[in-house]
Amino acid sequence: MKPKLLITGASGALAHLVAQSLSPNWKVIGVDPRPERLRGTFPGEYIQAEYNHRRMDEVFHQHQFQGLIHLGRIRETAQVSATERFQLNVVGTKRLLDLAKRASVPKHVVLSTYHVYGAHRLNALYLKEDAPLRASQTFKELADAVEMDHAATNFMWRERGSTTVVLRAANVVGKNVQNAICTMLRAGLAPRVLGFDPLFQFIDEQDAARAIILALDAKESAVYNLAGEGVLSYSKAIELSRALAIPVPPLGLRWVGAGLSKLGLSLPRYLFEYFKYPVVVDDSAFQKAFVFQPKVKTREALAALALGRDRAVYLPT
Amino acid sequence: MISRLLKETDWERIKVLLEKLDQYQLPPVPGLEERISKLSVSLNSAGFDRWGFHPDTLRKVAPLLYWVYTKYFRVEVSGLENCPHGRALYVGNHGGQLPMDAMIIGLALFLETDPPRIGRAMVERFVPTLPFVSGLFSRLGAMVGDPENCLDLLNHDQSVLVFPEGARGSGKLYTERYELQRFGTGFVRLALETKAPIVPVAIIGTEEMYPSIYNLKSLAKLIGAPYFPITPFFPFLGALGLVPLPTKVTIRFGAPIHFEGDHHESEDAIREKTEVVKGVLRKEMEEGLRQRGNAIFGK
Repeated sequence: MKPKLLITGASGALAHLVAQSLSPNWKVIGVDPRPERLRGTFPGEYIQAEYNHRRMDEVFHQHQFQGLIHLGRIRETAQVSATERFQLNVVGTKRLLDLAKRASVPKHVVLSTYHVYGAHRLNALYLKEDAPLRASQTFKELADAVEMDHAATNFMWRERGSTTVVLRAANVVGKNVQNAICTMLRAGLAPRVLGFDPLFQFIDEQDAARAIILALDAKESAVYNLAGEGVLSYSKAIELSRALAIPVPPLGLRWVGAGLSKLGLSLPRYLFEYFKYPVVVDDSAFQKAFVFQPKVKTREALAALALGRDRAVYLPT
Repeated sequence: MISRLLKETDWERIKVLLEKLDQYQLPPVPGLEERISKLSVSLNSAGFDRWGFHPDTLRKVAPLLYWVYTKYFRVEVSGLENCPHGRALYVGNHGGQLPMDAMIIGLALFLETDPPRIGRAMVERFVPTLPFVSGLFSRLGAMVGDPENCLDLLNHDQSVLVFPEGARGSGKLYTERYELQRFGTGFVRLALETKAPIVPVAIIGTEEMYPSIYNLKSLAKLIGAPYFPITPFFPFLGALGLVPLPTKVTIRFGAPIHFEGDHHESEDAIREKTEVVKGVLRKEMEEGLRQRGNAIFGK
């Protein structure tokens, strides 16, 4: 019998890719508070449940999991309040890890984000894993991301009997990835802060999925940064994804944010800070530990976004 | 109102003049492509190097920078034989409000040395907050002067350009020009750790470009800048006041200094080595000032 694996954020594109690659060797069970985006496409059993709901107890009772991949993190949108998001992301993560501990799950991978380092002018260009997490200082909307990262690393240090890998990933791009930056570039409208053009890192969904799968078989617990091929300026990223750059004077950010959300493109406000100051992570530790090299070139990953664009949805004619 | 003052033919003339100005192209930089190809950088698929240097941006701005370098500041360089191959820490005197010294030394390293080098300038921590400048500097190889950044660059055999006076130097008043301020000591520790030679660089002319007569500290504090200079032209002439005076610029690369020892040494021991560098730099500056003559016209 195949060992069982729990993947959260199962409605997302990344979870699909990971589940697909793992399904020959694992029996994959996916959980997500959201309904399945395309019914019946998840390669495994799909359960709709919130991570901090009692329903999760049952899931852990029913299945003896040998691995947990926690990809589910709700991003800031207008629909979900900060309290709700904190509840889902932080309390939910703690609860999931708690259940995993009680069920003695031996392997854990938690996907965090490079956002936790915070966009700040004092950032060194290559942030190592031990760099301070400034995000909650610069933007309280990111407090839940930082707290979730803390919850995962705390668990990692506490539970030495099992392995836990926390991945702080750069912007994941892919044709179905629904994160803010991807949605924006795919929509073809990219606001930028006038006069600022920081360096960015991207990682293709295929590479990200591969990294997550490698991390599942880690020998030791650790926190790693994860990025794709090289750095590039934000304006170049916009150019490569053939989106339209909208330069916004720093004082007009709020107004433009509101305008874009009217067009069906809601951007988290903290993102504008990342359009001003670079957050570039040093991913050498992960590459060394797992002999990992990103396969997809950033140029191609971004160009692919333009191909899957359906302008009509976002641009009223 | 204006249209009443000017005849239609005058309008046409102004239009033609503006059009000419608009279409004016600076002469190309001789051997630019060859120099770029000789740089030891590895670029990713988007055309950037590890630290955000972007040759395409350099190609775009090179004609203007070249004109400023050769025609406006009429830069003269000596001591090029002192520029080491491989990693090196260039230490310069700092002054003149805006980091023009970093730009000019960077250009000298790119245009005059063989093989050309990218002078990775370690800029003040407030530079990322400057609109337009921040992006351009980053594309041309500059970075925030964080020890981590410097260490990473030196470990990758890059030419790093530092100004140990920091904002203390660049914010100097006109009356304090070419007086070296207190040096930070971090650069010596970094040189020891990476076994990089220190090359003193005296740059003359940059400290007169923006003759600051007063530092408006209260306003600087308000906008979060380290200083706010008042010059005869800035801020009274607005953007025009940002145009630097056409001073004659000379650069002297001094002989490389090799230090030996432990980079965890006490502050006193490091301070001693810092003073050695400062002494050599001061001598080079004195020599440079003597040879230059008039600040605008040179000799």
